[in-house]
Amino acid sequence: MHDDGAGEGAGRVDGRSPARAAATDGGRALHVAVAVGLVAYAWWAVGLAQFSVRATAAIVLAGAAAMAVGRRRRLPRRSPADADVSGIAPWAVLAAVAGAWQLAAYLQHPRADHPTVSSLANELLDSHPARAAAFLAWIAAAWWLARR
Amino acid sequence: MSRSVTLVGYAVLIVAAAGLEVAARRRGSATFVDALTIVLRWRAARLALLAAWLWLGWHLFVRVDWQ
Repeated sequence: MHDDGAGEGAGRVDGRSPARAAATDGGRALHVAVAVGLVAYAWWAVGLAQFSVRATAAIVLAGAAAMAVGRRRRLPRRSPADADVSGIAPWAVLAAVAGAWQLAAYLQHPRADHPTVSSLANELLDSHPARAAAFLAWIAAAWWLARR
Repeated sequence: MSRSVTLVGYAVLIVAAAGLEVAARRRGSATFVDALTIVLRWRAARLALLAAWLWLGWHLFVRVDWQ
């Protein structure tokens, strides 16, 4: 029997039972609260004095917490037969070339003529909003990596 | 001149990665995420990557001099 808005269907919210609607709305409110909290935290954390213990703790602990949350919600593992290990060879070669290129730049001076990924990132993340956005992306990636 | 060469090198690497991803999707071989997932199967690699990621965050957001 289907509910048509009468009898046992009365009291439904957008086609959902009141209990389910409350749970869904509560979950959505929690997600919004977490998102707002993360943005506020990112704004505060990237504004701390550089090289300080407080900044180190604020950044590293946030990353570790994101990893811990991601680890609790790990994706189901595929069986070894599902993945062809030889398929990673092209990516391994590319990673090795990228590492060598970065190392070559790092070992040469001046830095302006031989920019590393770090020095380029410093130029891109010069503003507070850019740093906060990058920090949020880093946190999200930490969570994503820990889920794999 | 040197700066341009270095930047072109990074650009080539980005284009190569994009090309590899597109080719992998067409051929059904390992994409970037697939490759990462395979590597992360090994506990040592997993720990090393997560530690490296924490270091990267510290390096980018703490160690640098923004001024």
